[in-house]
Amino acid sequence: MTALPAYRPAPSFFQWVETRRWIWSLAGIVILWLVLSVLTSRFSLQSLSGVAASAAFLLFPSLGQMIVVTTGRGNIDLSIPSVITLSAFLSVNIVDGSDARLALGLGAVAAVGLGVGAVNAFLVLALRIPAMITTLATGYILATATLLANRSFSTYRVSPALAWFTTGKIAGVPVIVLAALAVTALAAFVLSRTVFGRALSAVGQNRRAAELAGVPASRVIALAFLASGVAAGLTGALLSARAGGAFLDMGSPFLLQSVGAVVLGGTLIFGGCATAFGTLCGSVLLVLIVTTMQIAGLPGGTQEIIQGVVIIAVLALAGVAGRENRR
Amino acid sequence: MAEAVSRMPVETLETPQPESASLPVAVLDRIVRTFGPTLANDDVSLSVRPGEVIGLVGANGAGKSTLMRILCGVTGPDSGTLALDGRPVPFRDWSPAAARRSGIRIVYQELSLCTNLTVAENFYLEEPAHGTLSPFWRARYRRFAQAGIDAVFPGSSIDPGAVLAGLPLGQRQMVEIARAASDPKLKLLILDEPTSSLDAGRAAQLRDYVGRRAAQGISFIFISHKLREVLEIATRVVVMRNGRIAREGSARDFTVHSLVELMGGGTGAATGSAGTRNPQAPAREILRLGGALTAPLGREVVLHAGDIVGFAGLEGSGQRARLHAIRAAHPGAGFVSGDRQRDGVLPQWSVLSNIGIGALAGKPLASLVVREEEAETARHWAERLRLDPARLSSNVLQLSGGNQQKALVARALARRSDLLLLDDPTRGVDVASKHDFYRVVRQSADAGVAVIWYSTEDIELLQCTRVLVFHKGAIVRELVGAEISEESIVDTAFLHEKEGGDPVGHGGNAAPAERRHNTAGLLNHAIPLIGLLLVCVALAALNPAAASLFGIDLLLSSAVPLVLIALAQMFVVGGSQIDLGIGAFAGLVNVVSATVLTEQPALGVVLLAAGLGGYAVIGALIERRRIPAIVVTLGASFIWLGCGYTLQSAPGGMAPDWLMAAVNWQIPGLPTSLLLILIAGLCGVAVNRSRTGVVLRGFGNNAAALEQGGWSPLRYTVLRYVVAGIFAMVAGLSLTAITTASDINAGGGFTLLSIAAVVIGGCHLLGGTVTAMGVTAGAVTLSLIGSLLSFLGVSTDYNAAVQGLLLIAILGLRTLIERREDGAE
Repeated sequence: MTALPAYRPAPSFFQWVETRRWIWSLAGIVILWLVLSVLTSRFSLQSLSGVAASAAFLLFPSLGQMIVVTTGRGNIDLSIPSVITLSAFLSVNIVDGSDARLALGLGAVAAVGLGVGAVNAFLVLALRIPAMITTLATGYILATATLLANRSFSTYRVSPALAWFTTGKIAGVPVIVLAALAVTALAAFVLSRTVFGRALSAVGQNRRAAELAGVPASRVIALAFLASGVAAGLTGALLSARAGGAFLDMGSPFLLQSVGAVVLGGTLIFGGCATAFGTLCGSVLLVLIVTTMQIAGLPGGTQEIIQGVVIIAVLALAGVAGRENRR
Repeated sequence: MAEAVSRMPVETLETPQPESASLPVAVLDRIVRTFGPTLANDDVSLSVRPGEVIGLVGANGAGKSTLMRILCGVTGPDSGTLALDGRPVPFRDWSPAAARRSGIRIVYQELSLCTNLTVAENFYLEEPAHGTLSPFWRARYRRFAQAGIDAVFPGSSIDPGAVLAGLPLGQRQMVEIARAASDPKLKLLILDEPTSSLDAGRAAQLRDYVGRRAAQGISFIFISHKLREVLEIATRVVVMRNGRIAREGSARDFTVHSLVELMGGGTGAATGSAGTRNPQAPAREILRLGGALTAPLGREVVLHAGDIVGFAGLEGSGQRARLHAIRAAHPGAGFVSGDRQRDGVLPQWSVLSNIGIGALAGKPLASLVVREEEAETARHWAERLRLDPARLSSNVLQLSGGNQQKALVARALARRSDLLLLDDPTRGVDVASKHDFYRVVRQSADAGVAVIWYSTEDIELLQCTRVLVFHKGAIVRELVGAEISEESIVDTAFLHEKEGGDPVGHGGNAAPAERRHNTAGLLNHAIPLIGLLLVCVALAALNPAAASLFGIDLLLSSAVPLVLIALAQMFVVGGSQIDLGIGAFAGLVNVVSATVLTEQPALGVVLLAAGLGGYAVIGALIERRRIPAIVVTLGASFIWLGCGYTLQSAPGGMAPDWLMAAVNWQIPGLPTSLLLILIAGLCGVAVNRSRTGVVLRGFGNNAAALEQGGWSPLRYTVLRYVVAGIFAMVAGLSLTAITTASDINAGGGFTLLSIAAVVIGGCHLLGGTVTAMGVTAGAVTLSLIGSLLSFLGVSTDYNAAVQGLLLIAILGLRTLIERREDGAE
């Protein structure tokens, strides 16, 4: 504890990469894409835009997950899949194919996300229940709500405006991809240029030190859960518009993938260091991996195994870097 | 009782003997140890002869603890030598384990016991060699513990079967001392403030014991602030001051007053002069201390702008607690802690950001960070603190301790508050930086800031304009201006300790923690059983057929897998971790056993063994790479699911005959599934009570102490996950036997249920407190709640919500109760 590491001039390249951990996921994307283009004639710019569109849907909840993970102490939001599914049901049935009711539907979905985030934050902060258990439990409660929603609703009509937003294109580029880029830029700005971003990083590095420095840690953590809830809620609405309805287990893939995109992108699982651009790259890489496996004709089971292995392997490799920053 | 302390036997040993006649047990020669540029031990030599009782005294920060840590192998010196029994020992071979093997033991002030284990189990962790292979090892260790405690503290009513958490602090300290003293290889026992929580009678017993063992040739080093006690017990006294030995000699040559003088007097003020408040400064009132805190003083203490107020007293007299209480009441105050790693640095950031956060923290969260402004602030304060501005862009960990501390002071000053709180701020900081620090504190005070300064180095308090001396949580004296000297501070602190007669404890912070587990503990034990009883009564009332033999068997059969998975989860929770993949793993075993194991038994066995291997790898990854268990097990859950899908994409399969036979037996008059549940629960109990189980639970409670005791964290983390994997595997097999088919999705839902069962069963998610019987009852209750809901006509849709709510309700209730009990103190 008393022995402090001496000043070591690190090689500049490694230092440069260390502060830009998204490099690895970007390199992964480029290599995987090149390999696919060479090996299969089926891979083109057009299929890349398909991958990008899928990645965009993964990006939104992953950014929320990233903010929660960055609050540190093993915090994680496991209620994301349930919020997505419930929101999908709610938005389809409230909007009911009418653009006029779109605002109402999105408002309702955002309210659900905020509500769940608020409950999670209350349980974590006021009742001191670990985030993992809190969000697992709220996820279960929402699963029941979704089952009930599934029983009572039966609409499959999608608002044209939302459909355009999720599947339309501007100059050949999917609208949703443009939106994803805009949201990533916004998140990056919030992280690096606002007091919230600084406070979030401080809390995640050392909550005690942050509090002693005057950072309102509880408020920061509460905002993180709210952000994650809203992001998941809106993702549910978007997914329902793309899929043309809502179905049970719609959100399930996002449980592991949201964590995976965050980890692959170079955000530290121990907290304190987030990168929005990295999460974007991580989302694309993860979707690209899944697409590759689908092209290769791997069965669903194998795909899940590989996703699990990739995420554990990345964590195990990043573990050292993370540990050096801990005490 | 005190008369029992006979100094006769030691007197005879005290007479000087020729060096060759009795080789010293241990000799430390010319030890130098620096922390950063601070000299904690400056050329210290200490020789311990057999049968000698050395009283080691010194003011706070004199270097006693460092010297003892070096002697016990916890810390290495920068230079110096060590010899045992006349034989030189190189420091690179010296470790806590080596010291232990050589018969050198230390009892620290912070206890190294596992509070979730019994007294006897704690004795086992210390001395595992006694009970090898005997199936009755627990009884043996109970006798061993009883004998060990009776040897030191005869007539103590400590039950060797009692859990440590339920014992008052004084008894825990007795256990700690007795445990070290019972070492058969013991040659030298170091006691660091051993009587701080003991009453007078027990302290006398300890002195008596030390005298008796010393007569047998065992050596002791006795560290205490209670100087009269030191003079009563010691044959030789060593006085340390500023990292050096100020004087040593026969205990007869010292008096309490001469010791106090040696510890604090002598060379006078080594640093700076006492500051005085600028008389021109407007005496604006910033803070007022009163009530019980200042009762012994008889008046309130008012802090004005420009004051530098020192909090002095023996360590643990309530100064730090008061400082933190003031901080909590004044959230805007600047705060600097000497524990930089824990309370200060934000390790991922540059020095600049580390300073800048002080100014940013007070702004609304939505406001923007202006980088130029931040850099300007940081540069301004860095210059005032003589911190090289060229280092602002370095990572904060690349700075020396002193410069890190400057950065943290800059952060606190950047808050621009009129109250600055210092919590032992210069720990491990070099002399030059200390002087810069003192200067800045004075400048801040002159600029109208009130400073409160808690220090463990009494000499630093000479920098203050006023010093408040604490004793047992209250202010007993105020020293102002010229009254402030090291002598007067040490004098006041120690003389109060002396007058205190036979103190029960240090400060008020020892006793309150005692009774806290009562309601919460009772609730934890009662919840599983009351819950189970209520659910059973409700089931029988709603449907009398449920109480029949067949009804019970049918209702409970679905509980068997859950009980086993919950027990598996319990072992993981016992290590203060959680397994999010345990349900999926049971599901995979379900699939393997209903498909491959039926068709190709050999391959099936190989696959199941591979699964357990996977669990071992998970354990190794978590321990070695320090990855959060939840993320690894979440990733693993997808691997288990993927394997299951690959083997069997749709529900089906069939159970092997032998597996069916394992659950389809019947003892007339008894429901089989109830017996299966009891067997599972008893297996869990047996594992927890086994030697391995004791170590596993110990790791969950006090991993650092076990690691220091020589237990391998890697081996036991792997073992923990393998044990959990085995229980989950049996759960998967039982799932196959009971449903006679397999479905990879069957397992997933068990994960939350297993956590809920563990929580309902009264286990703590942190701290290694687990109970297999409670978990079993909790799992059965949860399983029956499902049946109860269907009896009540509630759709199964609500099951998940009920389970989630139950989990949150119990955890929330527990927090509220614990908080109320904390608040009541």
